[in-house]
Amino acid sequence: MRTEEEVNRAIEMYADTIKRICMIHLKNYADTEDVFQAVFLKYATNAVCFENEQHEKAWFIRVAINACRDVLRSFFRKRTVSLESIMEMPDQIPPDNRDVLEAVISLPEKYRNVVYLHYYEGYTAPEISRMLGKNVNTIYTHLTRSKKILREKLGEENG
Amino acid sequence: MDNRIKETFDMIKAEEDLKAETGKFVQEKLRRHKRAGIAGKKLIPAMICMLFIILGGGSWLYFTPTAAVSIDINPSIELDINRFDRVISVNGYNDEGQVLAKELDIRFDNYEDAIEKILNDDGIAQLMEQDEIMSISVAGPDGKQCDRIYSHIESCTRGHKNTRCYSAGADYAEQAHEMGLSCGRYRAYLQLKELGSDITPDEINNMTMREIETLISSMSGNEKNKDAEQDGQSEKGHHGHGGGNQHE
Repeated sequence: MRTEEEVNRAIEMYADTIKRICMIHLKNYADTEDVFQAVFLKYATNAVCFENEQHEKAWFIRVAINACRDVLRSFFRKRTVSLESIMEMPDQIPPDNRDVLEAVISLPEKYRNVVYLHYYEGYTAPEISRMLGKNVNTIYTHLTRSKKILREKLGEENG
Repeated sequence: MDNRIKETFDMIKAEEDLKAETGKFVQEKLRRHKRAGIAGKKLIPAMICMLFIILGGGSWLYFTPTAAVSIDINPSIELDINRFDRVISVNGYNDEGQVLAKELDIRFDNYEDAIEKILNDDGIAQLMEQDEIMSISVAGPDGKQCDRIYSHIESCTRGHKNTRCYSAGADYAEQAHEMGLSCGRYRAYLQLKELGSDITPDEINNMTMREIETLISSMSGNEKNKDAEQDGQSEKGHHGHGGGNQHE
């Protein structure tokens, strides 16, 4: 069981990361709230000792991705949330970046994590494969395919 | 493209309300968890006491004998039976009995299995072939259980030659044990005393049941017992000591 200070520190450090993961997976604010609560409650009650900050961050990313999957799979949610509804984009995002975000969100679910982890967090394919528990070649394939789709959507020649 | 993706994700920030609400939610959960933990800890001593009471009560119920089955030839052994019809101890009442008690693996057996094992024991079968007499007595505070055990033993020994079965009342086993005798030998001791013998419990303990019965017969001048041994038949009758019933 962790202290109030530890939990508050973790929220300050990882809230943005988790929000980004929620943004590419979930379609409404209520689900994001659920994921935040699930992730930080798990952290608060978890006795796992992290070797360093990278280890801790990787743990938060993995738990957040799993929490998003759980929310999407939930029986209740499948029957109450329209799949068409898109989470409101933050007002401060300019149109150009909105296009990028929409392009990422429109990728198949299995590509979205890889894109986020590689392009934003800077993880390598082997690191992503360990984090997601997938074959490293699969990650390379996902990266190549997602890059191709994004280029097409965003009208760019080179990455 | 890489930079555009990076730049875009950089713009996504968790709302302050979301962080505050999450913090509040987690702290509340932790407080409840702690309260539940404290309440749980307070209950631990009570639960331990309860556990001891249950274990103690269970042990007392299990390990309190409610019937005693004494088997006397020479050796002389006695089985203590609990209310669940399990043999909780096997006691030898003379040297040979102590040896036999150690050899028999019947502790915690159902009394029916235990009796069967004893009747089929090689040593006992050998003694019976030498024309020894086996006396089996059932005594104890639980009359219904004693009757049930007695009926079972009687049916088991019906075909056995030179076997006598007796049942006795609640105090019978206690009185016998006070004198250091098994129920079967105590019955014989009382019978001899009634016939005017000055035999001691120690002397009775070292005699075979055959010798005891011969002595009783000679003192009573009654040849009935002798006939019964020879015929190996059963007869039922009341014994006058300690409320014991004799079934030969």
